[in-house]
Amino acid sequence: MTFGSGLAQWSVVPSLSVAGVTPDLPLILTVLLALRRGPETGCVVGFVAGLLQDTAGGGLLGIQALTKALAGFGMGLLVGRLWVASPLIQVPGLVLLTVAEGLVRYCLLQLFHFPASLGELIVRVILPQALYNGFLGAACVLVTAVAPAWRKRVWS
Amino acid sequence: MGPAGDVVAVIVTPVQSLLVRIHRGALAIWTTYVDWKSVRSENVLLRAESERLKLQALQVEETRQENARLRRLLALRERLPLSTLVGEVVGREAGGWVRMLTVNRGRASGIPRQAPVIVPEGLVGRVVQVRSGASVIQLLSDPASTVGATVQRTRTPGLVDGDAGGMVRLKFMARDGARVAPGDLVVTSGLGNLFPKGLPIGRVVRIEDKGSALFHFAVLVPAVDFDRVEEVLLVTGQTTQDVAGLFNPDG
Repeated sequence: MTFGSGLAQWSVVPSLSVAGVTPDLPLILTVLLALRRGPETGCVVGFVAGLLQDTAGGGLLGIQALTKALAGFGMGLLVGRLWVASPLIQVPGLVLLTVAEGLVRYCLLQLFHFPASLGELIVRVILPQALYNGFLGAACVLVTAVAPAWRKRVWS
Repeated sequence: MGPAGDVVAVIVTPVQSLLVRIHRGALAIWTTYVDWKSVRSENVLLRAESERLKLQALQVEETRQENARLRRLLALRERLPLSTLVGEVVGREAGGWVRMLTVNRGRASGIPRQAPVIVPEGLVGRVVQVRSGASVIQLLSDPASTVGATVQRTRTPGLVDGDAGGMVRLKFMARDGARVAPGDLVVTSGLGNLFPKGLPIGRVVRIEDKGSALFHFAVLVPAVDFDRVEEVLLVTGQTTQDVAGLFNPDG
């Protein structure tokens, strides 16, 4: 699943671009899995998904592996502490987590003299991608909520 | 036949006629049923045939377009005084943090790092990673991309940078005497011997004057539509010749 999302991010997702903004499928997968399986799974899935993105994307190796592992771990930790089963928490959580992941990524990239300014990145990349992720995440949550009932109806 | 025959005929003929009508009616119903059945199966066959032909037409159109693109690439390749290799785009990263393409030519094809990558419209970017069977190309619109450039008409020098929003800008133009105007073509300067001189980069859309700043910059619309690039030429040789005349930056 992780490998599939990485592959989709590299091949299919560019065609889903809206005004130059693309969703981050591996991050959505990491968050949704972390919410269901806990921090360890979230961390491992995030690390593998991020590493795949780093390798395929041509950026600095390890940056996304670290930020996504942290995102998966952090989201997994919230399970049991906050009421995260509700889609009304999950979707805004995904949006906020995308923003947080972007900020951590920017801080890490600054160590390597990343030339883009933070303001420009927030306005043009991080916030639009967070909203797109939220929209896709909501669709995924809806599908996972509807799928069992639909499957039950088909089989009965 | 006598009168007895006439009597029999009077009785039998209407019956015979009725039987014939019934027979014809039954035959007509049967024929209609058989026709309907064959029309139905024929319809299924024709639908399948239609789908197959539609798919075939799409494939033919796809092949025609690919052929046209490759012909233009080949024509450019023959015009250029440089050794080049054709590469096919196999992946894209356009999230904003990095803007890269991956092509199916790598170390085995002898691609050097920093090799310029071009298409008939102009410069796409440069190779930043060479792997065994693939190379990663940094697009001009990547935030970390910088290319030495010149405005073709005025010969004003500057640096072309990408940014997070996917725009391309010509920076560090001298404020005085630049005379750069919207519509001017910006080409590679050839300084540094990395990119051949004269590769089209883009056209000036507007000049942004920052008031008291030492330099001002121009916003460019790239000569190449990076989202639609499918095949590229990877430049493996060098030339000192100005190659601007060999390109068609307006498509």
